[in-house]
Amino acid sequence: MKAPFSAYLNSLRDGLRELIALLRRDYDYVSVLATDSRGLAVRITQRARSVGSETMTTERGIVVRVCRDGQYSEYALNTFDPADPARAAEEICAAFARQAALLRAAGTGVFRTPALDDEPLTLFVEKETQELPETADVRALVEELTALSDRGMTLGKDLIDCMLRAESTHVCKMFLTEKRDLRQSYVYSEGSAVAVANREGRTQIGYESVSGLGGPELFRGLGEKLEKAVEQAEELLDAERIEPGEYEIITSPEVSGLIAHEAFGHGVEMDMFVKNRALGRDYIGRRVGSELVTMHEGALCAENVTSYAFDDEGTLAGDVVEIEEGILRTGICDALSALRLGVKPTGNGKRENFEHKVYTRMTNTIFDSGEDTLEDMIASVEHGYLLEGMESGMEDPKHWGIQCIIKAGREIRNGRFTGKLVAPIIMTGYVPDLLGNISMRSRDREVFGAGGCGKGYKEWVKVSDGGPYLKTKARLG
Amino acid sequence: MLDTIVKLLNEAGVTAWEIRDVKTRGWEFYFIRHALDQNRVRDVEHITVQVYQLIEDGAWLGTASCELAPTAQEAELRTQIADLAYRATLVKNKPYSLRAPEEAEAAAQAPIDVDAIAADFIRTVREIPETAGEDINSYEIFVSAKTRRILNSAGVDVTESYPDSMLEVVVNARREGHEIELYRNYTSGSCDTEGLRRDLLRTMRYGRDRLAAHPTPALGTADVLFTTSDAVSLYRYFADRLNASMVYRKLSDWRLGEPVAPDFRGDRPTLAALRELPNSSRNRRYDAEGAPIRDTVLLENGVARSYLGTRMFASYLGLEHAFIPTNFAASGGTHTEEELRAGKYLEVVEFSDFQVDSATGDLFGEIRLAYWHDGETVTPVTGGSLSGSMLKLAEEMYLSRESTQYDSWRVPAATLVRGVTVTGVE
Repeated sequence: MKAPFSAYLNSLRDGLRELIALLRRDYDYVSVLATDSRGLAVRITQRARSVGSETMTTERGIVVRVCRDGQYSEYALNTFDPADPARAAEEICAAFARQAALLRAAGTGVFRTPALDDEPLTLFVEKETQELPETADVRALVEELTALSDRGMTLGKDLIDCMLRAESTHVCKMFLTEKRDLRQSYVYSEGSAVAVANREGRTQIGYESVSGLGGPELFRGLGEKLEKAVEQAEELLDAERIEPGEYEIITSPEVSGLIAHEAFGHGVEMDMFVKNRALGRDYIGRRVGSELVTMHEGALCAENVTSYAFDDEGTLAGDVVEIEEGILRTGICDALSALRLGVKPTGNGKRENFEHKVYTRMTNTIFDSGEDTLEDMIASVEHGYLLEGMESGMEDPKHWGIQCIIKAGREIRNGRFTGKLVAPIIMTGYVPDLLGNISMRSRDREVFGAGGCGKGYKEWVKVSDGGPYLKTKARLG
Repeated sequence: MLDTIVKLLNEAGVTAWEIRDVKTRGWEFYFIRHALDQNRVRDVEHITVQVYQLIEDGAWLGTASCELAPTAQEAELRTQIADLAYRATLVKNKPYSLRAPEEAEAAAQAPIDVDAIAADFIRTVREIPETAGEDINSYEIFVSAKTRRILNSAGVDVTESYPDSMLEVVVNARREGHEIELYRNYTSGSCDTEGLRRDLLRTMRYGRDRLAAHPTPALGTADVLFTTSDAVSLYRYFADRLNASMVYRKLSDWRLGEPVAPDFRGDRPTLAALRELPNSSRNRRYDAEGAPIRDTVLLENGVARSYLGTRMFASYLGLEHAFIPTNFAASGGTHTEEELRAGKYLEVVEFSDFQVDSATGDLFGEIRLAYWHDGETVTPVTGGSLSGSMLKLAEEMYLSRESTQYDSWRVPAATLVRGVTVTGVE
């Protein structure tokens, strides 16, 4: 079925068009992003259970963007009355006038930017889904997840909980200007299976996830994931601490995705180029990794949680080759930053929600796969680790440092697993070294979208990332 | 609007309900260097409703929640509330009752002038002295006046207004063609000009030192001194493990009246929940469920004294007057900062991202700048990482008697943790 576009947003359309017309009398450029994204969230543990309608991206509201004399301003509200756009226009103009007075008094200059293009464009997209969060059979889902949690508890001897999270969001967004009319509707879902084990006061957590473009039907994969999570948690209880040092490593697709995201995801967000906050700006056309490194980024390069048709500034989604055989080709860019840099936007202008500013943000960030088998990769390692499971990461685009917190590593000596598991692991290093040392990559690849991404320590958005197994070298602690 | 929602909830015949209504009037200013990148206004209202249903003759309590749009018409509200009433019958939790009305201590409430607070932030950052080697790359100012009303079917109906501010600053430092950045994110009630100025000047010094830093030596294990806001993560570990939710879900095995570490060899920390800290962004009379917030000792000389948390989990542990804490103060130091600085230690002042996992106890952080004090000289170092487990490290921490405040946390100005694993790059 097609995910139906929001009737609520359609009911705002005429009023918003009138608001745009009213504001255009005073401003060189006016756009409106209106959102109505509804969700379903079910959380089942052994000790607490809940059903809700809020996910990370549920929202209903509008944000008005205006530009006058090169100055951009935005007004976010969720009380717009389509029958009275004049009142909204008046309030918006009055608020901006007060802010202008404050800025004048402070003697603030403006980073002037030309008005955005407003080429005519109409788009109406309703993507396919099997089910919708708003009409899902919640009773069946709750029963299924409860049974899974109960069954999970029988799978391990040290378990204290098996937690299931299932979230599905029906995203509807409408972008309007004088000449543009873009509407899109799609559903994405994500779920996780978490097993918590405890032995003699030591707690370990196993985590597996599912995610993708589609509705609650995706949660049917959670049973298999829970079994893996239980196995992980129990195994981690016997894990040892790693001897710190530099090792040969093989990264699982999940860890490869984390590296893609932290290394040359944030590092080539081009709003950072405008602020001179990323070293990547000076490395376009230069080698940043081995010839085995090719990396794509864009809402069109995978079908996952952030595979939209247009971004939050009304730019159509893209698929950018950021790194081609080790050479940095380009970055990703929102529309305002593109104007400032004199390049084309890539469809990566995203907001946390309608209340937040647009920044250049990632969508799907993925390493290309290669020709090696995982078996050959393991056989090639003299002493190192297969790294599995990601916890978190942090980038330093100005200095190209990278920090990845990884769940566990399986020791490999002379091409074979020794059976020793080390956990947890902090992987640190210098991005060009990490990518420059990539010497093998597997044929298969996976994409993961169950997490979120912040810019600094805020502005949380959905992203997905992934890749194949990669062999390289890194410092582990 | 809220009257209509209450009427519809009562008509729906649900067992109990809670409503949280938060109105935000926010101003935001974004700067590249000191030129305005963008100005923004947020004018929003968020209404969240939680419905409870007793099921199977009162054996279980189900719950469901949703956000209701402030523009929703009565018919849409009626449909959503009916849906909530149904969904709440689908999950089974142990029954508990909602908060009953209880008067909090009175507090003086000053009017919130968003314009003036925003102007203070702009002026404060513009007046930071910059040099050829260190300057402000960009900054973002967020100032809000919020009004929160909490109602429930047991009679709670409390409203309070408060300021909520955030400043993000990126500082650059450069030397011989090499430039680095240092990131800061400050939260507060309003603008603390002196505190911001002090910290940003210190940040610029860190930038200079990082550019001259040597590779971190492979120390194996070392005593590590925390003198920045990263120390909050150490103390949050204690607060989290005293949360009723962690205890009830068996993620924490800490018992009231018992020491939280089996063998304290260092200082025994004390941790209190406080209703008010100067200029905290989290000063409230009532918590998010309408319970009065009281100054409460959570941990006293290393012994667990009180669990706190949501009504649900507190109730499961039999705690009648628990609440969700907002501000915290950690203390218990027996040394001055100067005494803690005797001997060899690594003072880490810049991490990529310092983390402490409250469930497993694991701590990590990549070192962007540290000072290696070898007893005679002080050497700035960079690279490598810290790791360890708070389950062991908490046994030997030394806290300075002097304290400092990071928004909603007052913590010792210096905390020395013995025996942390340090992966160097030398």
